Amino acid sequence: MTLQLILFFVFSLVVLGAALFVVTSRNLFRSALMLVLSFFGVAGLYVLLDAGLFAVAQILIYIGAISILIIFAVMLTRGMQGMEPRNSQYVGAAVVAALVFAGMLFILGPFRVTFDPQSVPLLNLIFRNATPREVGAVAWPYALEQAGALRVVPETYIADFGRALVDINQYLLPFLLIALMVDVALAGAVHIARQRRPQEMIEDRQELEAEIASEQAAIEALQRSAAPALPDTAVAAGNEH
Amino acid sequence: MSFITDLLNIIGNFIHGIIQSIFGFSPFLVDAITMGLAAVILCTFAAVSFMGLTYVERKLVARIQDRVGPNQAGPVGLLQPIADGIKMFTKEDTTPAAADRWVYNLAPLVIAVFALTTYAVLPFAPGIVGTNLNIGAFYVLAIGSGSIIAIIMAGWGSNNKYALLGAFRTVAQLVGYEVPMLLNVLPVIMLAGSMSLIDIIDHQTLANGGTGIPNIVLLPFCALVFLISGIAETARSPFDLLEAESEIVAGFHVEYSGMKFALFFLGEYVNALAVAFMFTVLFLGGYAGPILPPYVWMLLKAAAVFTVFMWLRGTLPRIRVDQMHNMNWKFLVPASIVNLILVMILLKLFPSDAALAQANGGILVTPAVQAGILFASNLVVMLGALAIAARRARGARLAEEEMLAARRAENMAAAKA
Repeated sequence: MTLQLILFFVFSLVVLGAALFVVTSRNLFRSALMLVLSFFGVAGLYVLLDAGLFAVAQILIYIGAISILIIFAVMLTRGMQGMEPRNSQYVGAAVVAALVFAGMLFILGPFRVTFDPQSVPLLNLIFRNATPREVGAVAWPYALEQAGALRVVPETYIADFGRALVDINQYLLPFLLIALMVDVALAGAVHIARQRRPQEMIEDRQELEAEIASEQAAIEALQRSAAPALPDTAVAAGNEH
Repeated sequence: MSFITDLLNIIGNFIHGIIQSIFGFSPFLVDAITMGLAAVILCTFAAVSFMGLTYVERKLVARIQDRVGPNQAGPVGLLQPIADGIKMFTKEDTTPAAADRWVYNLAPLVIAVFALTTYAVLPFAPGIVGTNLNIGAFYVLAIGSGSIIAIIMAGWGSNNKYALLGAFRTVAQLVGYEVPMLLNVLPVIMLAGSMSLIDIIDHQTLANGGTGIPNIVLLPFCALVFLISGIAETARSPFDLLEAESEIVAGFHVEYSGMKFALFFLGEYVNALAVAFMFTVLFLGGYAGPILPPYVWMLLKAAAVFTVFMWLRGTLPRIRVDQMHNMNWKFLVPASIVNLILVMILLKLFPSDAALAQANGGILVTPAVQAGILFASNLVVMLGALAIAARRARGARLAEEEMLAARRAENMAAAKA
C-alpha cells in the first residue's frame, strides 16, 4: 500500500459517501452541501493524477459557481423547509445509471472486443473506409503502475492542454462552440435582466403621472357635478397634488 | 548569498537536519514532519499578523478620523489584541434554538480553513514557499471562491432571515467581483508566460532573466482594478455594506458570538492580507528588491498595500448596493475585457522575446519599449472607460434634472392657478 493508494481510497470514500448522502438525505440544503464535499473529493482525485490544473478548475467551477447556483435554487424554492422531496422516477433513474456505469466499466475495464463498423446498418454508410478495430480497455493507471509502466505527466501539460484547445486539428471547434453557447446564454441573461434606461423610466413615469392627473381631473369633475355647493373639497384636492 | 539573506533557508535546513539526526527517521517522514511544521508556522504567521493588523488598523483609522484609538490596554494600547482575544474566548457561545447545528458550527471552520489554505503557495523569499504550484495564481483565485460556500452555510445554518439575506448579498458581491479580478490577473499571466507565482516574480526581476520592471508600471489599469476588486472580494470598506457596522446589525454572521465570530473575522482579515500579498506578487515584483533581504521586501511591500486598504477604509464613505453592482458589471468588467483584448493584440504585435517573435511574427522590441506600449494602451483604456462612464452618468443626471425642472414648473403653474 503506497501513500497514493491510501489517499486514493480516502478520496474515493469521500466522493462515494457524500454522493450517497446527496441522494438519500431528506434535507435538500444538506444534500447540496454534501455535493460540494463530493466535488472536493473529485478535486483530490485530480491532484492524485498530477492534474493540478483540473483540480483547481474543479474547485473554481464546480464549487465556486455550480454548487452556489444549485444552493441558490434550493434556497429560493418556496416551501423547501419541511418538504419531503419524493421521486417516483427512481426505477428509470436506476436503469439509466446502471447502463452508464456498465458503459464506463466496459470502456475503462479490462474488456476488449473487436468492432466492425461495416456490420452496423447505418454506420457502414457513414464510415465507408473504416476497418474493424478493437474497442474498450483503456488500462487503469493503477494497473499500469502495477505492470511497471509508470505514467509520467509531462511538465508542459498545461501548455499542451492550451494548445490542444486552439489547434484546428484537435479541440478548436468544440471550444469555439462552447464559447459561443456561453456568449449566447450571457447575452440572453443580460436581455432578460436588463434595467431600462433612465430616459425610458422617465417616459414611463410621465405616462403614469399623466394617467394619475387625468384620473384626478375626472374625480374633480365628478365631485363638482355631484356637489356644486361644496367648492372647498375641490380646492383641497387641487392643492394636494 | 549572505547569512541574513538566506536566514529562512538556513533555519529550515537546520530544523530538517535536527529531526533527521536526532530521531533517525526515514527521509520521507522527515520531509513530512518539516512540511507539517512549515504549515503550522505559516498558519501561526497569518493568525499573528491578524492580531497585529487589527491593532494597527484601529490606530491608523483612528488617527485619520482624528481620534486616539485603543489606548487603555498596555502601553499605547499595544495589548488590545490580547484583551480582545481573551474577551472572545470567554464570551458565551450561543447557538440559535432552531439552527442547523452541523452547518452552523462548521461554517466558521470552513471559512478559516479556506483563508489559510491560500498561504500554501505564496512565495516569501527564493525557496521559502509552501509549494511552488505551476498554477499558483489560479489556485489562489479558486480557493478564494471557496469561502462563498462557508458564507452560505453560515447564513442558512443560523436559521435567521437577516442572516440569510446577508448571505445572499455577500454572495452576490463576491461572485460578481471575482470576474474583474480574474480578468486582470490574466494579462500578468500572459506577460510572464506562466501561472506559477515564482515565475511571475522572476519575470519582474533582472536576476533570473526577467525584465526588471514591476508589472504595475506595465499594467496600471490592471493593478487598479485588481486592487478595487480585491477590496470588494474581502468585503472591506468601502465595500463592507453587507456588514455596515454603523448602519445594520451585521450580515451573515449576526447569530455568531465568541470564538466562532472571531473565526469569521480572522477569515476576513487573513483573506485581505492574502490579497495584499497577491498584489505584491503580481504587480510589485514580490520579494525582489535591493540591499534588504527578500523576505523583508515581501513583507514591506505587502504592508504598504495593506496600509492602502486601511487608508481607503478610513477615508471613503460606504457606497450603495446598486452603485457597487453597477460599477462592477457596467464599468470594471467591460473595461477589463477591452483591456485584456488590447493587451493580447499588443503582446502578439510587439513581442520582446526573440523566440516568440521568430515563431509568431510581429515586431521584435526591447522589454522597455514593450513596457511603454503596454503602459500607454492601459492609460488609454483607463481614460476612455472613465470618460464613457462620466458621460453616461452626466447624461442620466441631466435627464433627471430636466424631469425635476419640468415637474417644478408644473407645480408652479398649478400653484399660480
